[in-house]
Amino acid sequence: MYAVETQNLVKRYGKAYALKGLDFTVNPEEIMVLLGPNGSGKTTLLLTLATVLKPTSGTTKVMGLDVTKYPTKVRQILGISFQDARGFWRHKPAEILRFHAAMCGIKKGESNTMIEQVLKELELWDARNKLFMHLSGGQAKRVEVAKLLIQRPKFAIFDEPSSQVDLRGKRTIWEKILQLREKGSTVLVATNEVREAEYLADRVTILDQGKSIVCDTVHNLKDKITGGDIVELELEQTENGAEIQEELNRIPGTVKLMPLEKGKYRAYVSIGEAWVPKMTSLCYERKVRVSSVRVTEPSLDDVFLSFTGKKLETSENA
Amino acid sequence: MRNVIRLVWFDLKPEIKPPVWILIEWFTFTIQLFIYGAIISQLVKAQAIGNYQQFYAVGFIVMMTFEIGSHAGRSFVEHAHEGRLPYLLSLPISRSKLFLAITLQGGAELAIMLTVPLFITLTLLGNLTAFSVVAAIASLFCLGFGVAGLMLGLSFIAFKSSDMYSAIVTGLSTVIIRFSTVLYPLMFLPQGYALVATLSPLTYGADLVRFLLGFDPSILLNPMYAVAVLTALAVSTLGLGAFLLQRLVEGVKSG
Repeated sequence: MYAVETQNLVKRYGKAYALKGLDFTVNPEEIMVLLGPNGSGKTTLLLTLATVLKPTSGTTKVMGLDVTKYPTKVRQILGISFQDARGFWRHKPAEILRFHAAMCGIKKGESNTMIEQVLKELELWDARNKLFMHLSGGQAKRVEVAKLLIQRPKFAIFDEPSSQVDLRGKRTIWEKILQLREKGSTVLVATNEVREAEYLADRVTILDQGKSIVCDTVHNLKDKITGGDIVELELEQTENGAEIQEELNRIPGTVKLMPLEKGKYRAYVSIGEAWVPKMTSLCYERKVRVSSVRVTEPSLDDVFLSFTGKKLETSENA
Repeated sequence: MRNVIRLVWFDLKPEIKPPVWILIEWFTFTIQLFIYGAIISQLVKAQAIGNYQQFYAVGFIVMMTFEIGSHAGRSFVEHAHEGRLPYLLSLPISRSKLFLAITLQGGAELAIMLTVPLFITLTLLGNLTAFSVVAAIASLFCLGFGVAGLMLGLSFIAFKSSDMYSAIVTGLSTVIIRFSTVLYPLMFLPQGYALVATLSPLTYGADLVRFLLGFDPSILLNPMYAVAVLTALAVSTLGLGAFLLQRLVEGVKSG
């Protein structure tokens, strides 16, 4: 049984479609990362799973329970950390967490210990009695994440868990999310941060315009794109630059060769280890000095570009 | 039921710790009644009304009820926009219990806000009895819930444009208060005004409370009629609120 399963899930706001027949699954005790630009339907999917929004049509199940038939039971097994930590301006972090723990049925003695521990781990202990409205954006976001770390639900949903948080804080949050999974939670994380996705994901689903474009492990996704490796090379400038470029293009395994600045190229190649020796032989024969060679794996950004034809973190999406 | 009480207390706590708004409301009432009310009662001398300060005191409580009810409705919309409502909707309790908690929280706020004004008014009227307290609170609660429900009913506009919602609610409040019997009895109103005043829920609230507190029934609407209208208003608008929570909010992207 899947921990989460949607079949042909549609969500419409008036005439606009946020989800267009989404088929999506999450295995038990895995971290699934939803990757997609703003407006791709990530948050709508999370809110639908959390029973905050009702689906327009299609089937949505969490731990085998249909979200439209058993919404209260679904809410009892999941927890959601929202994208925007807002709405409790006149409460204090410690109060918010105590309330959340009590609502989720955690006993007072147990919750007090956990709250103290989580507040300290997320560096919120000194801010525990400040009004929420006086917290910084990063602190407010950490309070939002802390709710789930205390609740430890069977199914934990995080919407952009580390946005607005500094680098050290991000690393702590990611570690805590990994620990949640180790303790048996199924985790769904929506993000448009490539680094976050690479750090956390057991599998990644790329969403675009309300549809799942592809779903696999990070490793497999990178292997799936044409030109599995990227070779960035710099050649000494010669008069026959155009000829060299043509010959580089003809090396077996070259998928695409992109000239950058003068003498610099980016080659998308099938197997970097096989392509580089051929390239160096060619340059040796043509008496062209190779100034530098760098073989890299494609990033998830490249994967996203390859599958959707769009950059993930464009100014429009950022 | 524990979770319902927890929710009510969680929302109510910032209102009463510290109780700044409550004290300001009580202070405003006292000033209005003992300065404005006292002076205006010297100017208004109508045999049918008797002491206008007493008439005004009840009217002012009804206006306060209207304001608090409106505030509850508006808070609901603000919570939706601020992202608090999605959080509440994600908590592990049923929708009916959540709606009950929101309603009880509004009711508790109303009760706290009206405690001192009602005590002062009943003392002023010389009618501080258990019956008058219960009767006045019951009718004011009916009115308060009705008004809150009415504002909730208008909240669908806020999901399209919060500016338009604020403008409509402000305009509507002005009309509902002025075209009602809150500050003057129906018999003194010109025929056209009186007709419009019978459409205002405050007319029924004010006249029913005055009837229950022993004002001359000849200047008031038929109390049975007022009870029927207020009950219908509270039930229908609360039903609308529950419907909105179930259907509209869960289907409208907010925040």
